[in-house]
Amino acid sequence: MALELTVGGSAGAPRRLLANYPWNVAALVLVISALGVWNLASASRSAHAPVWIAQLWFMAAGVGLAAALAFFDDRTFHRLAWVFYGAVIVLLLLVMVKGRYVMGARRWLAVGPVRFQPSELAKLAVAVALARWFHDDAPKRRGAYGLRQLAVPIALTLLPAGLILKQPDLGTALVVVAVGATVILFAGVRWRSVAALLGAVVVAGVLVWPHLKPYQRKRVETFLHPEGDVLGAGYHATQSMIAVGSGQGTGKGWGQGTQTLLSFLPEQHTDFIFSVWAEEHGLLGCLLLIGLYLGLVTAALGIAGNARDRFGQLLAAGITGMLFWQAAVNMGMVVGLLPVVGVTLPLMSYGGTSVITVFLGIGLLGSVAVRRWVN
Amino acid sequence: MVGLESGGSAPPREPRERVPWAALVAALAFLVIAGRLYQLQILRGDEYKGRADENFVKELRVPADRGLILDRNRRVLVDERPSYDVTLTPYFCGKGCEDVLARLSSMLALSPEEGQRARDRLQAARGLVRFRPFTVKVDITREELDVVEANRVPGGVLGGVDVIPTPHRNYRQGTWAAHLFGYMNEVGADEIDRLNADLPDGQLAYQPGDFVGRRGLEKRWETELRGVDGRRRVVVDARGNATGEDLEAELIPEAQRYEPPQPGKNLVLSLDWRLQEFAEKTFPGTAGVVLAMDPHTGFLLALVSRPAPDPNKLSGRITRAELAAIHADPLQPELFRAIQQHYFPGSTFKVVTAVAALEEGVFRRGGTIFCPGHYTLGRHRWRCDKESGHGTVDLEHALGASCDVFFYTLGDRLGADRLAAWGEKLGLGQPTGFDVGGETAGVMPDEAWYDRHIPGGYQRGMAVNMGIGQGDVRVTPMQQLVLYGALASGTVWRPQAVLRIEDDRGETVRQFAPEARFQLPLRPETRQAVLAGLEAAVNKPFGTAYGSRLPPEDGEMVGKTGTAQVVRLGTRRLKASQVGYFERDHAWFAAFAPEDDPQIVVVVLNEHSGFGASNAAPTAAAVVKKWLELKAQDEAERRGTAGPQEPEPAPAPSVPPVERPGAAPRPRGAALPARGGARGA
Repeated sequence: MALELTVGGSAGAPRRLLANYPWNVAALVLVISALGVWNLASASRSAHAPVWIAQLWFMAAGVGLAAALAFFDDRTFHRLAWVFYGAVIVLLLLVMVKGRYVMGARRWLAVGPVRFQPSELAKLAVAVALARWFHDDAPKRRGAYGLRQLAVPIALTLLPAGLILKQPDLGTALVVVAVGATVILFAGVRWRSVAALLGAVVVAGVLVWPHLKPYQRKRVETFLHPEGDVLGAGYHATQSMIAVGSGQGTGKGWGQGTQTLLSFLPEQHTDFIFSVWAEEHGLLGCLLLIGLYLGLVTAALGIAGNARDRFGQLLAAGITGMLFWQAAVNMGMVVGLLPVVGVTLPLMSYGGTSVITVFLGIGLLGSVAVRRWVN
Repeated sequence: MVGLESGGSAPPREPRERVPWAALVAALAFLVIAGRLYQLQILRGDEYKGRADENFVKELRVPADRGLILDRNRRVLVDERPSYDVTLTPYFCGKGCEDVLARLSSMLALSPEEGQRARDRLQAARGLVRFRPFTVKVDITREELDVVEANRVPGGVLGGVDVIPTPHRNYRQGTWAAHLFGYMNEVGADEIDRLNADLPDGQLAYQPGDFVGRRGLEKRWETELRGVDGRRRVVVDARGNATGEDLEAELIPEAQRYEPPQPGKNLVLSLDWRLQEFAEKTFPGTAGVVLAMDPHTGFLLALVSRPAPDPNKLSGRITRAELAAIHADPLQPELFRAIQQHYFPGSTFKVVTAVAALEEGVFRRGGTIFCPGHYTLGRHRWRCDKESGHGTVDLEHALGASCDVFFYTLGDRLGADRLAAWGEKLGLGQPTGFDVGGETAGVMPDEAWYDRHIPGGYQRGMAVNMGIGQGDVRVTPMQQLVLYGALASGTVWRPQAVLRIEDDRGETVRQFAPEARFQLPLRPETRQAVLAGLEAAVNKPFGTAYGSRLPPEDGEMVGKTGTAQVVRLGTRRLKASQVGYFERDHAWFAAFAPEDDPQIVVVVLNEHSGFGASNAAPTAAAVVKKWLELKAQDEAERRGTAGPQEPEPAPAPSVPPVERPGAAPRPRGAALPARGGARGA
């Protein structure tokens, strides 16, 4: 067991670790993280607590975790996949029973002084579990997957997503589904199945609509007509777009964003952190950040493309999907292209669990990348 | 699309083959977001920049002080005082609002309707409306203010309660000259657009809650009195809280942070309040008018019009019941009798008959008419005031003793057309042009008028009645004033009450010159003959107003009494006390003095009081005497001090300054802090 946990324990391991480590990913992550902390320092000017210091600690912990994970052979994660997945499901069930209510939702679990959201870990758990299932399943298969053969991975995705939706946390549930879908798509699906799946999603949407909370429905309606209700549910969307638009070409400058400073931006530390960036750094800053995210996503995709086995490829693809969907959905929401759902912007949004989750994902990417030539 | 293939028998393809597709999807997604950013930040950037600025810049109005109304000696007649209005902001009393309201109710002795209204507002306050203060009670007393302020401590029992000192119009003299001043009240929702549609240059739009001048000078000179509100721009955060001066300095350009209000202009009236006060106190009537004018200029010196509602009440401080009582009052207190009501002039009209007869040649100077005590035309007989008859009278005696038969005769000789024509030549039957609006023209009926208005049309006897100012001749007190002023000076004036308009520093911005409408078209000897009659009326023992003559040292007053029948009575004249109030005659007196150099012309109308000689002339005489005294006194003072006196500066507004932390520097005249403060979203 000890040997397996430290696979790569041969004499050349440290050198290989350094040589194969995806430094491009690490550099992009560190640059985005630094910008994120810098941006938070501005956003917290009007808040009571300087949250950027806390964020710095989370990131330090995250870097440590990511580095540590890189030492493990990705086969370890293959082996532990079901344990991890099972543990996350248990935690999600625990949240339903013992979770803390914050603003009407039960998302937090307190372990001693530490509070965290198991739903964040569920994104990783789905990626790991699905990667393992497809890895193990591949030898038995001929050709691409049909819908019936996808029953298990779809169930593995929808179980945690359903639990998270129950909290309720629509945004994270959607990301979990997106991660699952990404892994499934990478694994290979028949055209017909995809069409059927899309149809199922539409049907599910129609069926789910009556059961959505009024605030969720309101958000979707507001997305369709944001200016219709400027002071009510459209307030978030409207103020966010004002912040972004008023940044213009080069922004108002760090700490000069009036929307930020005077608290017109709701959730400005977390879900709407991108509007702070856009207001203070303008289109130029935004293009820089988008470029960094695109770089991170393509670098992560590169790891998926070079992984030695199906598990590594799919795990890297799932984590890439997590990063990409969160970034795209969050920015799309802030600029008014998508309805307001609670999705964080990786490495920019404030939040311990969110930061740790991203870094755990980066750690897994590192682990996969380092052993790409090892058999 | 990622990871799609059409099945087959080979094992599933490697996931890595889908990487390029995935990269393409990611790039496209980010490209869409970048495009959207370009749209928001570049194409619509200016628009959103403006909206961001609007977000945090809150404009507060700094109300301009309304102009004062002063008398000719710059005594303040109308100004502003603080009205302490109690407001409640639901957000700040939270769950304890009901308790706070209950406490306020006992502290302020709220009426049941006031209490109910406040509870309704509290119930209705949801969401952001809870940040909006609403008024619980306006204009609390000093005692109530003390009680509220003592309890209004942080964390105290009156959370959310504010006392806002609001400038409120103050008519210092109550009902005196109230119709001339007018009053003010809140601008109505239905008229606000109309008012704002034709705003003069430089004026700010009216907003709900603003007060606007109603009637009288307040309405006529609204634009001048109103001033221009100033503006203060403050930076507020999302909750509407002011953020302080540091941020303001950073975010709002200096020049835009504060625009001082421009105080309204002051009206300086031609009235002398000493004379007004005297006239108000001397005039014994329940209802009536006392007018005094400078016959050389047409400027009014005093204007009593009674009864009048209190403009302080009318200015937004009146209850429904009180308003209903005013409307139901048979004396019609809202009627500005001096210009809005016309009356039979009675014997005061005989000057017109005399002028017409002399000018038309139907009566020669020096001629006489025999008065047997009645005048007969056909089967109709008109009674003279003196039933035994005056005997043979000339014009002087006829005017002096007010012989009716004499003027029945002249009226009959002249006919309605010529009488009415001369009435109009003397300024009657048309508005005097007194510039506060609502003036009635009176009636100078000619034959055509009778044909139009009376069944059966014009008949000769009607002119007989007109000869003594009955029939259908109707004049306003202001017309009488202008007529007798014209007899005194030879000029028919447009009567005016505003001497000049000053800015807040006392500089004249507009001076009103005397306005002659026309010269009296009389031969000098005609005027001479009429004046002789008026002189006899006051100064000869047979004169009707002999009892009201001035002491010799004041010179001679000349004038004419009138007793206008209101209702046709039986064949016997009754004393005033023998008939009901509304059946009694109106008493008139019109006079000027001194005869050789007229300084003042006075008209007194005492409604339903009986004889002019006893119920109007004494007031007129007292007012004339008072004015001559005041002139002499002023003359003596002017000689006593070296050179003409400097006009004293306009007195400071009576509203005490209220300091607020963070208030912008206050210019002169802006005594109150911005209304509403920076609270409320």
